[in-house]
Amino acid sequence: MKFNQPKHIEGITIMDRRGRHFRRPLVLGTAVALASGFLLAGCGSDGSSAGDGKQTITFWDNNGGPDRTPLWKGLIADFQTANPNIIVKYVGIPAASVQQKYDTAVAAGGTPDVGGATTSYLGGLVAQKALEPLDERVSQAGLDTKLVPSFADTIRKVSSDGKLYEVPTSGNLDVLWYRKDLFSQASLQPPATWTEFFTDVSKLTDAQKNQYGFTIRGGPGAIFQLLTEMYSYSGITSFFDSSGKSTINDPKNVELIQKIAALYKKDTPTADVNNDFTKMVAQFGGGSIAVMHHNLGSSANNVKALGADKVAAVPLPVAVTGVRTIVPNPVDGLVVFKASKQKDAAWKFIEFMAQKTQNSIWNKTVGQIPANTDVSGESWLQEKQPVRDALKAIDDPATVTVQAPYYLPEFSAITKTEMGPLFQKVLLGTLTAQQFADTFATKMTDAQQKYTKRVGG
Amino acid sequence: MSSDLHSEPGVSPQAGAPTPRPETESEDRRHSLRPRRSRRRSRRWSLNPRNRPEVIGPLVLYLLFTLVPFYWMLVFAFRPTGSTAILPTHLTLEHFRTVWTGLGFGVFFRNSLLVGVATLVVVSVFALSGGYALARYGFRGRKLFLLALLCTQFIPGAMMLIPLFEIFRQLHLVNNLWALVIAETTFQLPLSLILMSGFIRNIPIDLEEAAWVDGCSRFRGFLAIVLPLLRPALVAVGSFAFIGSWNNFLFALMFMSDQSKFTIPVGLSYTLGEFDVDFGALAAGGVVAAVPVVLVFAVVQRYLVTGLSAGAVKG
Repeated sequence: MKFNQPKHIEGITIMDRRGRHFRRPLVLGTAVALASGFLLAGCGSDGSSAGDGKQTITFWDNNGGPDRTPLWKGLIADFQTANPNIIVKYVGIPAASVQQKYDTAVAAGGTPDVGGATTSYLGGLVAQKALEPLDERVSQAGLDTKLVPSFADTIRKVSSDGKLYEVPTSGNLDVLWYRKDLFSQASLQPPATWTEFFTDVSKLTDAQKNQYGFTIRGGPGAIFQLLTEMYSYSGITSFFDSSGKSTINDPKNVELIQKIAALYKKDTPTADVNNDFTKMVAQFGGGSIAVMHHNLGSSANNVKALGADKVAAVPLPVAVTGVRTIVPNPVDGLVVFKASKQKDAAWKFIEFMAQKTQNSIWNKTVGQIPANTDVSGESWLQEKQPVRDALKAIDDPATVTVQAPYYLPEFSAITKTEMGPLFQKVLLGTLTAQQFADTFATKMTDAQQKYTKRVGG
Repeated sequence: MSSDLHSEPGVSPQAGAPTPRPETESEDRRHSLRPRRSRRRSRRWSLNPRNRPEVIGPLVLYLLFTLVPFYWMLVFAFRPTGSTAILPTHLTLEHFRTVWTGLGFGVFFRNSLLVGVATLVVVSVFALSGGYALARYGFRGRKLFLLALLCTQFIPGAMMLIPLFEIFRQLHLVNNLWALVIAETTFQLPLSLILMSGFIRNIPIDLEEAAWVDGCSRFRGFLAIVLPLLRPALVAVGSFAFIGSWNNFLFALMFMSDQSKFTIPVGLSYTLGEFDVDFGALAAGGVVAAVPVVLVFAVVQRYLVTGLSAGAVKG
């Protein structure tokens, strides 16, 4: 350092005489700051107000992405042609963060006019009094008779007042995706009962060839899938018995957990203990899995990866009692926010999207179950095997729907964060299925009792 | 061993380098890439203790660990959907088209760049002035202030979300990219100030005093003497600010509510749907997001190593 000093001072003294050097950084810095300032300010103007009698409504898509964003933009263009006085501002929100985005917007102000929402977080929005009940508007528009009853039922059960806060657009169902080619090579039929399921996945496993009969979702999202398997196996028709006690640790449910855990590492890859849906879908698409339990949502992924001739889906098998019990998936739909100043325009948008034509286009593209009953006659639905069979299972009068208690504020935390690690312990053999189910049931019973106290008294 | 390296003919330390730089990996590589490759040169290469297998081996292993994920990202980005080829034999730009035009990465990229550059400028200016004050002036509560700066690092951004949102709404800055610059600067500044004051403290005050004797004012002395010596420090602080803001997802998603105001991280999370994942688009988006950061590092890493080690020595 000492040796450098004279050199530096010398250098700077020379520049000093020129009188340029030290002015340059200042000028340059100011110029850059000003330039970026102007550029950013140019982006800062907000175009929410529209002149010449036109209204602008903001719509937040709860699952923005490469498939849905272009689809929504097309439908919005149709809407604007039909309603030239309304301009729709589309904002796609990534699915993983939409709940946080809504919660922040509700807490701090700044909700949109219309938003996409599913029943998994609808309860929270209703509890924060952020949404507008839509019953009257729905019946005035004559939509009430056209909505799939079980979807509307799921939505009503989310709130304590039983009102319709969301107009459903599509439903989803847990299914078993299976490899048609592997099943026909082994001369097997897709599993219709749980006994068939367990024998099939065992027959289709060849660990030497890195071929597995099944894949377990052990990571994020595991518990909801496990619940649908449990109730589908046991045939129990309610999450709570008449005294408000959870049915989760019923011996039949525990038996299913034991059987699934027994498949781990035997008929499934070892890495399954950490599987979230992306890994599971990637594994299935990679060709090493014969049967995967997921929902209709991965339809496009599966068909793209394996080809439509190699992959198909069946609803979860019927229960040991012979009854088909279904735990419905969250229902996707549209909501109007209470803070909106343009509720009529917002409703027009929802009404338009709930019509047969739009609902048909929407569900045909995303591969989900249309919420408008008029769509069920469409020809595309007959050709899309997974959706057709799922709708058939839902529509079947013999099918019993077991509503998951989305209305419990603790439900999300229990199923997503608290029970997940415990299920991994069951898979790894450090916790028994009985202990797991007992803990789970206690948590659910407590949450239910708290809820009954709050609502009832 | 270092003297051995420096006495090598034709490899003189760069003329005009402000401070003797510690030898870095990149310097080594630069030597090895000299065009003249005589036998003597290669013999020296093998004799150099740094090039022994026990040194090279772990480095190669480490590189494998860091580069294989990048390779996977590139393979997924360039191979067609449905392909399982490990070597990309048939290349496609389909995924890049999806993210750039379909998802609007073109707009997100521009926004990220604007916010990143503005954050860089604002953080650098504040860090320079604040760091200088902390290093050169003794004032009451200075230690407490430094401690407070450190403490701010313990507060996660998510906790400040609603208060910040409230503040920006009052200031009419919600849905304005300036909100991101301000929020990002606030979170970056404490560490930058601490780093910068460390750098400035390392520059002997004698240098400035000499300038004052020559007739410079304090400000002019700072610009003429201290600032040129702070180049590595500015590069370190500036690149941290840029990269931090480039990667921030939470603020961009929460404070912006307009498709044309989102940034690259928000665009990236679009590819992870609720039920489906577009791996090709995810990887292509990853490439688009990583390229500027890699470029920034490629350009500044020489200064960065010097800058970090210089700032780490507290006087």
